[in-house]
Amino acid sequence: MSNVIQTPTLLAAAITTALLAGCAGQATSESTAAPAAEKSMAAAPMAMAGPAPLAPLGEPPIPPDNLQSAAKIELGKILFFDPRLGGDASTGCSTCHEPDQGWAWAEDFSRGYPGTVHWRNSQTIINSAYFPRQFWAGSASSNESQARGAARGGVAGNGEADIMEARLRVIPEYVERFREAFGTEWPIVRDAWRAIASFERTLVQRDTPLDKYLLGDKSALDADQLKGKELFEGKAGCIQCHNGAITSDQDFHNIGIPPNKRWEEDGLAQITFRFEQYAKGQTQEGYRKAKSDWGFYYRSKNAWDKGKFRTAPLRYLKYTAPYMHNGVFYTLEEVVDFYDRGGFDEDGRTTMFTENKSSLIKPLGLTDDEKDALVAFLESMSGEEMLMDKPEMPEYAPLFTLAELEAAQEAK
Amino acid sequence: MGVRVKTGHTLLAATLGLGMAFGAQAGKYPDITSLPDLKINVAKAELGKRLFFDRRISGDAGIACSDCHKPENGYAHPDALSPGYPGNGHFRNSPSVVNAAHKKVWMHDGRLGTNLNDVTREMLTEDYIMNMDMRVMQERAKQDPKYVQMFKDAGFGEPSNGSIRKAIPEYLKTLTSENAPIDTGKMSASAKRGQKLFKGKAGCIQCHNGPLATDGKAYNTGVPENFDIFLDPMNHHAFIAFAMFQGIEDYMNLKRDPGYYNITMDAADTGKFVTPSLRELKYSAPYMHNGMIKSLYDVVGFYNRGGGKDSRKDSRLKPLKLGKQDIKDLVAFLESMSGDPLTSGKHVWKDPYPAEYPVIENWTQVKN
Ligand code: HEC
Ligand code: HEC
Ligand code: HEC
Ligand code: HEC
Repeated sequence: MSNVIQTPTLLAAAITTALLAGCAGQATSESTAAPAAEKSMAAAPMAMAGPAPLAPLGEPPIPPDNLQSAAKIELGKILFFDPRLGGDASTGCSTCHEPDQGWAWAEDFSRGYPGTVHWRNSQTIINSAYFPRQFWAGSASSNESQARGAARGGVAGNGEADIMEARLRVIPEYVERFREAFGTEWPIVRDAWRAIASFERTLVQRDTPLDKYLLGDKSALDADQLKGKELFEGKAGCIQCHNGAITSDQDFHNIGIPPNKRWEEDGLAQITFRFEQYAKGQTQEGYRKAKSDWGFYYRSKNAWDKGKFRTAPLRYLKYTAPYMHNGVFYTLEEVVDFYDRGGFDEDGRTTMFTENKSSLIKPLGLTDDEKDALVAFLESMSGEEMLMDKPEMPEYAPLFTLAELEAAQEAK
Repeated sequence: MGVRVKTGHTLLAATLGLGMAFGAQAGKYPDITSLPDLKINVAKAELGKRLFFDRRISGDAGIACSDCHKPENGYAHPDALSPGYPGNGHFRNSPSVVNAAHKKVWMHDGRLGTNLNDVTREMLTEDYIMNMDMRVMQERAKQDPKYVQMFKDAGFGEPSNGSIRKAIPEYLKTLTSENAPIDTGKMSASAKRGQKLFKGKAGCIQCHNGPLATDGKAYNTGVPENFDIFLDPMNHHAFIAFAMFQGIEDYMNLKRDPGYYNITMDAADTGKFVTPSLRELKYSAPYMHNGMIKSLYDVVGFYNRGGGKDSRKDSRLKPLKLGKQDIKDLVAFLESMSGDPLTSGKHVWKDPYPAEYPVIENWTQVKN
């Protein structure tokens, strides 16, 4: 704990929070040190053998301790849309991951828990089942642990496990459904995260034009897209990080994303910014001077990881604007221009940690046609929009009848 | 989630020895004398006042201390069961916080016995009270220039969650009874007759004694359960979360508020609640831990019948055989323990709060 903020009251509060919450979800789990294996993987140089080729997406991996079942998936779907899985029953998963906003939120920063704004862009749920590292900085390791963190974070769901569990128990339809899916007498909140994870494992898209092409349908990509593919794998160098079936090496890079200007202009965003420094275990000094998102550093605590983020997957992007961890780009054209300039935005802004900027990011010298082709290819990684109607929410109902209560009173 | 502090078994031990006949024992109990003066730091209290009425110190900025502890209701709440944080109900009556600074034991079941800093923390962080992540709270305070100034003026330096939990208790000290007839001596003849009954025939003094009219101990008086705890699922889920956290077994089947039991886990303590103060009752109806009794007449009527029905009811409670006039006199005496309403600007923060947080200019240049 030696490099954790030393103001005694803060420290005490942080400890209290951690103790009382049992384990404090997204915020503090980020501050625990990353397993050694992950650190070394993050620090390892690019594999010499060259990047994994693009590949069609297979079935999502299913963890052996949370096998899929129809009952679980259906339950997970209802829970995903249920705002009662959050502190004041207003903010559930779908509140920030709206199906018609690409299962994300169409602003630079995600909306936050009421009274707050988030500090990162909301990510799409589509295909999240494939990612061994979740969140922009890869801090969660599965859909299960991710869901738990999301429901609890101070600017996300802000819900405590016990109140959420208690709510589930006074909703008879849930009691029934949890019993069917998990065999427990009463709903247990951990099982809610498991059910949601099972539901998320159904939100996958494997029939994009690119998948079809890679599976042998040579007409699935048009000439422009094919040209874009060539650039992606060649001159533009995107494949070095965006590779394999999930279009991400799941490693961490600083590609030069500049801080979001909103932190200079929006009081509410400034509040969250400082909160996140505490929540992510910054040192007192770091808390005082941080003016941008330090990304993977919060977990590794290595200076060279400042400003690094997980290589973002490129599937389903057509529906998930804006882009990047802080939503600074609203179109794919802007993204491609950014890479073409070697990691600078149109005002010449870049990361505050230029010393960590990836050497793979350099001016590309793309022509306008080439840029268009690259965008066209990026779009081929998205299939049809996946929409879903909000399921009907089961209602609260009393567990006891008046007669039962009166009998208990008589027996006092 | 809140903190569970064991006030210990000493309380219990102290109460057991007292089961004697009343009447003759009146002289044994400390009188209801005036409350001592508390030393108050004005700047800190002023800051605490602004915080007490500020909804922004709750998770979703939707509820303030003063929404459950309302000045016009003696800093209690007029509903039998307190409201909860948005999305939640509650399972107990919101008590008056007037004179809370003079107490040694807080909450209806007496589960907090340390200090008001702890009580404030519990209020702020409890899921179904204010659900506040105190790190967010601190950063909100730092974003409000008025707070930044007030914290500085109060000698706290920059706003921090620790100093918030000091400033609010300082403000609570200012909520002390003012000009109650029992303190000024200006009691009506009826109130004086009531006082005699209180100390004598009616035996109230056995439990309601000392400056606050409470001995700070827990008793079972047989107050009936408030079924709305269970019939309204929003109240019930708050109750379940509470009982789960307190470690009460079989909490899903619980059909009553266990009261003091959750501290000792001794079945004999089921249904006991801490003797409340009898000051400021004029404003704080309804009464009892669950608001089941609506008026002071009804309370006296309840005692006149020997309390409620409970196999573990305290043996001190017996039918009193009070006449109509006796009852009026007792009520008059109870009312004489209420002072002036604390509803002026001296106690209530009346300025509006800013609708938005101003931006910190020059953000990239200044230290956070
Ligand atoms: C207040 C808005 C908000 C709520 C509520 C919310 N999320 Fe998120 N979600 C986000 C943001 C913002 C991120 C990115 C956070 C980060 O990287 O720090 C995210 C990231 C994720 C990711 C990671 C995707 C990836 O590519 O790694 C998943 C999965 C996810 N959320 C699922 C959920 C689930 C399940 C719930 C409900 C239990 C939920 N979210 C509730 C805003 C929200
Ligand atoms: C050095 C590794 C690397 C290279 C090379 C690279 N990217 Fe990225 N890409 C990343 C990382 C890391 C992110 C996430 C950055 C962030 O959020 O701050 C990202 C994000 C993106 C995003 C935003 C995705 C979203 O969900 O917001 C797009 C689009 C993208 N890259 C396209 C490309 C293209 C096109 C190329 C080639 C011109 C390319 N990338 C080259 C690492 C790389
Ligand atoms: C949602 C309603 C609600 C809010 C908001 C609330 N309280 Fe309370 N308060 C209660 C209830 C209900 C109790 C009694 C709880 C119990 O006995 O379990 C209580 C008890 C107390 C007590 C103990 C009184 C005694 O004599 O035992 C104090 C002091 C107190 N609150 C102060 C505060 C302060 C200070 C705040 C703001 C930081 C606050 N409360 C916010 C409902 C609320
Ligand atoms: C055996 C101890 C005991 C005796 C004797 C006793 N009380 Fe009480 N009194 C209590 C307890 C304990 C409570 C709280 C019960 C609850 O909340 O369920 C209480 C509550 C009250 C309340 C409600 C206060 C509030 O804020 O809700 C009033 C009024 C009251 N008593 C008046 C009296 C009067 C008048 C007498 C004499 C006729 C009396 N009491 C005798 C223990 C006692």
